Amino acid sequence: MTTTSNPVPGAKGAYNGFGADWTPTKLTDTEAKRATGWVEAKIDKRFLLTGRDRKDDVRDIMWQLEKDGEIKVHRVADHNEPVIAKTLYGWDKKIPTNNLWHHKSCGQCGNIPGYPSSVLWIQNQLGIQYLDETDQTSCTAWNYHGSGIGNVVSLAAVFLRNFHQAYVSAKAHGLPEGTYYPLVHCGTSFGNYKEIRGFLLHSAELRDEVKKILAKLGRLVDGKLLIPEEVVHYSEWLHVMRQRIADRQTIDVSNIRATVHPACHVYKMVPEDVIYDDTVLDGNRVAVTTGLLQTLGTQVIDYSTWYDCCGFGFRHIIGEREFTRSFAIDRKIKVAVEEARSDVMIGHDTGCITTLDKNQWIGKAVDKVYALPVMADCQFAALTMGAHPYKLAQLHWHASPFEGLLEKMGIDWEKAKAEFVSYLDEVKAGRIETLYDPKRAITSGPGYVKPPKALQGA
Amino acid sequence: MTAHAKLPNPPISDPVSDLPVVPYEKLEEIFEDIRKHPVYDHEIHGCLNCGICTATCPSAQYYDYSPREIVQLLWTENLEGIYDAMQEKIWACAQCYTCAARCPFENSPGGLVMIMREVAIKHELPSVKEVLRPFSRVLLKVVSTGNQLAPNMITKEAFPDWGPNVAKVDAPLMLLRKAIPMPTMHTLDTAWEVNLKTSVELYTIWEATGVLKQLESVDENLFDVVSDVMEEKRDEWEEWLEDNEDEDDD
Repeated sequence: MTTTSNPVPGAKGAYNGFGADWTPTKLTDTEAKRATGWVEAKIDKRFLLTGRDRKDDVRDIMWQLEKDGEIKVHRVADHNEPVIAKTLYGWDKKIPTNNLWHHKSCGQCGNIPGYPSSVLWIQNQLGIQYLDETDQTSCTAWNYHGSGIGNVVSLAAVFLRNFHQAYVSAKAHGLPEGTYYPLVHCGTSFGNYKEIRGFLLHSAELRDEVKKILAKLGRLVDGKLLIPEEVVHYSEWLHVMRQRIADRQTIDVSNIRATVHPACHVYKMVPEDVIYDDTVLDGNRVAVTTGLLQTLGTQVIDYSTWYDCCGFGFRHIIGEREFTRSFAIDRKIKVAVEEARSDVMIGHDTGCITTLDKNQWIGKAVDKVYALPVMADCQFAALTMGAHPYKLAQLHWHASPFEGLLEKMGIDWEKAKAEFVSYLDEVKAGRIETLYDPKRAITSGPGYVKPPKALQGA
Repeated sequence: MTAHAKLPNPPISDPVSDLPVVPYEKLEEIFEDIRKHPVYDHEIHGCLNCGICTATCPSAQYYDYSPREIVQLLWTENLEGIYDAMQEKIWACAQCYTCAARCPFENSPGGLVMIMREVAIKHELPSVKEVLRPFSRVLLKVVSTGNQLAPNMITKEAFPDWGPNVAKVDAPLMLLRKAIPMPTMHTLDTAWEVNLKTSVELYTIWEATGVLKQLESVDENLFDVVSDVMEEKRDEWEEWLEDNEDEDDD
């Protein structure tokens, strides 16, 4: 390509940067490492704190807009039994712990089904009320980040449509609106929804556009947009429930060396809304998952590339897998095995678990032979509480070898697998075990059964 | 800084390429679309070329891609450079937002890349169709069902590099799906069973927000297929409403 700028020949100085004047630095590998190594070595909470003075809490705008009569806020109410957690700047975040609406993840449900089933199973064990229903779409943000198809307005409309459904869903079972509070399973949905909520609260124009669409769908409340007080990820729920989970722990995991892969869209998007806890890694890193593992007694092992992404790339895992698998192996799996001598890598997001789990086998082609079990925090926690590794944690969908880990945890996986294979015969005969009454999953349209009039409520 | 402004009407072209010259007005039009994007001002605030974004960028380790370059091109309004980056470079970004979390200026190079991708689609830049071709199966799924991934998309044939142990229990896929203890997931074509009303509402969102238009510009055949699916589901929903109305009357 030709360029149009015209640098002065022989000019030197401070402005030889990128753009048309850019020239390669021609650093050797060692020099390049020295130049950038400090950036990798100094990543912790302090770095993120630099933006504190410039950052406003969007919830202040939210309350003002509600006061002005422009929006309605879906509150984390008393019946949601909130627990307060502290975020990056020390702000309070209300985490609902009961009466939850499961906002499922398309990648988890399609590919790692033991991920959501473990969350629901743990909630059954703890006596938590919830709804898992069919009236929801994915956030569609995986597609957006991968392809560029979509836009802020479509993402905002999808977000508020799903959250409105969470708000009204209980009516289908004769309970009041607002009974259930949405619990978001996917890390990308969580990051995307928080970002979009911020855009909505900052832009009257965006609110107007989205309001017209939601009005057409009948998805306004009292003629107003419904905005959630908090956008909550399931890992945050696990975090505030970690002691109650540990109280029901039946398997000792103090001999397990675990590495944690924190998900980019969980803590790098809208970082001011991420839980940090002074009792977890001195409050220097995102607290979810690590806090749970420590409470369960696991040895959480640090490793130098903890901050790196997994290589998922949204588009790359589908169309450019050379990048995905190279990054996953070289920057995460290899380091977790060789540097941290990890028994298992634990994550809290859809794409990361998929990427890190599925992209190990191909390493054999280039003599990078690693076999590191990869699973979600909720699956690991469910196992420690005695969940069946196949029927509940559904580990057979994982490509990485988890059998050795189960042996180290004292779980007889061969026996469990035989039980599952024989359970498949029961399933074939229609005797299927479920975590809740299947009738509850349909709240409108074909298949919906209205509750008796006495239970229909207002 | 507007280096390009010094030259009244410079065409952009590659001397060794047969591709047609891109008129300067087109470059301006593209940049205007980027600059007037509703979140552009939220994503860029300045740049001192510190390079922290590139130092921690996963894509920068594997591609000729630098988030710093993206920010600089936009900040200096380098129209030719922006156009050039929109051909391939913007598709290298892994969308992890590490750059955004680290930038002392609170820029979001990843967010800027998304704006540039949207504009690349709008202007039907030559690279878009090629880059998104492997994505068409996913696009069909997400636009027609609201689920990006379905169990029957994960096959050994589609993902040979995942190895032979993608499922560790050898049984028919539907049987394994029914052995998941969540009834919403006893499905093959979607990750969970999607309520008919939900799909119909989603189509209204796609239409109202220009997403279908985007799809049509990227892949006309795919757009036709999606349109058929939408029509079918809408008819089904209308029929159900009519039947249900009858029941209510009873």
